[in-house]
Amino acid sequence: MATRREQKAATRQRLLSHAEQLVVRHGFTGTRTLDVARAAGVAHGSVFLHFPSREDLMLTVAAEMGRKMTDRLHALAAGGTGLREALAAHLRCVEEHEDLYHRLLVDGPSLPPEFRTAWLGMQSAVATHVLAAAEVDIGAGTIRSMAPHLLFNTWLRLLHHYLVNRDVFAPGGSVLASHGQELLDHYLTLLTKEIR
Amino acid sequence: MTPDDGCISCGMPMRTAQEHAAGDPDKPYCVHCGSESGELKSYDEVLGGFAGFLRRTQGLHEDAARQTAADILATRPAWSAR
Repeated sequence: MATRREQKAATRQRLLSHAEQLVVRHGFTGTRTLDVARAAGVAHGSVFLHFPSREDLMLTVAAEMGRKMTDRLHALAAGGTGLREALAAHLRCVEEHEDLYHRLLVDGPSLPPEFRTAWLGMQSAVATHVLAAAEVDIGAGTIRSMAPHLLFNTWLRLLHHYLVNRDVFAPGGSVLASHGQELLDHYLTLLTKEIR
Repeated sequence: MTPDDGCISCGMPMRTAQEHAAGDPDKPYCVHCGSESGELKSYDEVLGGFAGFLRRTQGLHEDAARQTAADILATRPAWSAR
């Protein structure tokens, strides 16, 4: 029989799970706590026993996605291979959360500053893996040497352009499933040193 | 705390002993936040290191990097009571 503590943790998890589904449909600004409570089958007031405010719930949804994504990337990139493998692992992690990631990317500018902090923290973890892998390839002389922030931001910007506009690049589907490999190949072509 | 919570200081996931301070899996903070002898670095050292990392890897302005690092550290168990 579940203890009270376990029941509380399960309810919190259920609220988060339903909140995430609603955010995918309605966005971070358009999701209401009343709808989260209804979807989770709890009284509206119960939401606030677990999250002090709607903003706190929304921030937890974003932070949980970041935690899951970076933890997964950490596991996938643990082999310490080259940049291609690190970027492929990054693509895979984003694709696994593509709908929610897209929402955070699009809604980000209109959200409170705490969301940007969480966003930058998440990208910081991604940068750790991408740049460590790039260093290996730069050391081996296979890709060009460049400022780490430009190498990382160029990749991110390319990815984000396709994600933000995914309705025209991949209507109704995953833009990373349909375009991810092409973006990865293109980016690496730009970075690869010509052998003379 | 669960293993999923990562470093209590900066949040970095830690899966191997080498990722813990001084290679000691019992240390709840990571190799970046711990000294060579395995002690947790001071807040200022961790803040400076994290801000420098944000500048180097994402190109943030010095002030923004320091503020972002401080905001992230404030959410971590090691520094949330500051």
